[in-house]
Amino acid sequence: MKILVPVKRVADAAQPLRIAADGRSIDGDSVVPIINPFDAIALEEAVRLREKGADVSEIVVVSIGPATAEKELRGALAVGADRALLLETKKAVDPWNVSAVLQAIIASESPDLVIMGKQAVDDDSNQVGQFLAARLNWPQATFASNVEVAEGSLSVRRETDRGIESTRLPLPAIVTCDLRLNEPRYAPLPAILKAKRKPLEVRPLAECGVTIEPRVEVVALEPVDTSRSCVMVESIDELVKQLKQTA
Amino acid sequence: MLLGPKLDADIYSSIRDLARKFANEVIRPRAEELDRDELFPIEIFTQMAELGLFGVTVPDELGGSGLDCLAYAIVMEELSRGYASVADQCGLVELIGTLLTKHGTPDQQQAYLPEILGFKKKVAYGITEAEGGSDVAGIRSTAARTESGWLLNGSKLWINNAPVADIGFVLARTDPDQGHRGMSIFIVDLHAKGVSRSPKEHKMGQRSSQVGALFFDDVVIPENALLGELDRGFYIMMGVLEKGRLGIGSLSVGIAQAGLEAALEYAKVRKQFGKPLAENQGLQWMLADMAKEITAARALVQQAALKLDHGAPATAASSMAKCFASDTAVAQTANAVQIFGGSGYIRGFEVERLYRDAKITQIYEGTNQIQRTIIARDLLKNGIR
Ligand SMILES: Cc1cc2nc3c(=O)[nH]c(=O)nc-3n(C[C@H](O)[C@H](O)[C@H](O)COP(=O)(O)OP(=O)(O)OC[C@H]3O[C@@H](n4cnc5c(N)ncnc54)[C@H](O)[C@@H]3O)c2cc1C
Repeated sequence: MKILVPVKRVADAAQPLRIAADGRSIDGDSVVPIINPFDAIALEEAVRLREKGADVSEIVVVSIGPATAEKELRGALAVGADRALLLETKKAVDPWNVSAVLQAIIASESPDLVIMGKQAVDDDSNQVGQFLAARLNWPQATFASNVEVAEGSLSVRRETDRGIESTRLPLPAIVTCDLRLNEPRYAPLPAILKAKRKPLEVRPLAECGVTIEPRVEVVALEPVDTSRSCVMVESIDELVKQLKQTA
Repeated sequence: MLLGPKLDADIYSSIRDLARKFANEVIRPRAEELDRDELFPIEIFTQMAELGLFGVTVPDELGGSGLDCLAYAIVMEELSRGYASVADQCGLVELIGTLLTKHGTPDQQQAYLPEILGFKKKVAYGITEAEGGSDVAGIRSTAARTESGWLLNGSKLWINNAPVADIGFVLARTDPDQGHRGMSIFIVDLHAKGVSRSPKEHKMGQRSSQVGALFFDDVVIPENALLGELDRGFYIMMGVLEKGRLGIGSLSVGIAQAGLEAALEYAKVRKQFGKPLAENQGLQWMLADMAKEITAARALVQQAALKLDHGAPATAASSMAKCFASDTAVAQTANAVQIFGGSGYIRGFEVERLYRDAKITQIYEGTNQIQRTIIARDLLKNGIR
């Protein structure tokens, strides 16, 4: 079984971000880049499937992003991916186009399983997995909180608003990961060194044969007011009143 | 001459990321509790062993991570930013790992390195005695020759890990008439007959480090427990101390950096006279000076690391790094406390602990007076280099 794990370089949302002078993008100087945490969970799951004895022939990580995303890909190689591919572009690519690019990659890589984050924490779109499944006409299990492999099929437990849903899907398939699927490991120091020797291919995005036709235009970015003020209440009635008025 | 790093820049940055993440997520959240209750966090150390954070510069064929001193310096700073006592354990294992790598026989390396780097066995490094602190030549412990080895007698004071350690690397006199030239290092099973320990000391800072005394009463030392050449122990110990000082320099930078980060954050949030503290120029300059001093300390530490990595003379450089960085840690954590005002003096605020943790860095691994003596000796002997 060959596994493809798409990963995105995102801004660490725990760090303070500034909006750039154009009012439509994030000031790059304020960004502390990290691998999208949901993608790290997806990668961890791929590595665990192999460790738990599933017949995993190769784990390939792919990223669409700036040249600097090589760092996140090296990080993924240190955690246990075998090979990395970076489709280099300076522009942000929206979910529909990301899914188009991934479709092209899947056509040449022929993975049996695509396991990915349910969303990227920068724009929180939560669309690529679903778009990709539709384009490929593959079965999908989104918001996975448990994944088991059994003879050519997957058993996935999904987190839904109504509770946990258990599904079985044939391969090839798309799985998107939720927060509680696993806790990603730290890559040990020797693995960081070894990752340096694993293959990492960089190709311009323009060469992957997909014409990017943007469907999303960011018009404006505004900071959310996160300041909080404390109000002391005398009684439960007053509390309820306050909640009704302000919450 | 400018010396450059030996590995690609992105490797060091990945190493920093790992150590920082580990410190932020695993170490720092527990620092207050470890300090307050003087706990030895074996679960953190076990995890560090799995991550290759023990034996950073020990070659990979001997079970280490096979990295260089610059990588080690980066790891130490980041761990110490989480909590200095945890970093100090990394430094101790590194020192012992280096001793075994450089001076151990293949049998000794095989017998000890896997267990030590895997944190299955805890080590102690025993030089200091009541009469021999800064003046190591004053130590009195003796190892008397027997037919099948030696008989060890004496005691060691203020030894890190002494209350918990399994294996001691102990300096003792093998030729009592020869001063520096008559000392040897023995690998001592600390569970052997004749070994006893004091209860742990209660310290001002780095309180999670378990420090105490070791007593040796006719302890039987087998032939194969001699580390390195007979009577050369003093020089062997001193030979690895350059790396030790580099480590303590980095650890000091980490403490200072944590203080700066806390002070910067607090100055932005705390309001007096209707505006954040950080809007007062007097405090801005204080923060600027803190950042400047800490950056200078880090540069000295990294320069010493590069000298070690290139095999250039590093005695003065590592002493300068240790001395400057530890003075910086004490001065700048004091400033951090000042920026916190009364809160900075209260248990539970990180800077209060950092200030206490900083002080010992001017004392252990050779006091800063001794570091200056070493720098001066090098200056007078070799000139400025
Ligand atoms: C928490 C802790 C952990 C330790 N861990 C270890 C360990 O694991 N292994 C180990 O072997 N030791 C350890 N030590 C011991 C430590 O290395 C010594 O305390 C240190 O070397 C100083 O020796 P001393 O305490 O005897 O001070 P002294 O040598 O008595 O010095 C007292 C003062 O006089 C100054 N002084 C001494 N000689 C001179 C001189 N010639 N010129 C100018 N000034 C001088 C010193 O700088 C110091 O300020 C530890 C100590 C502590 C507190």
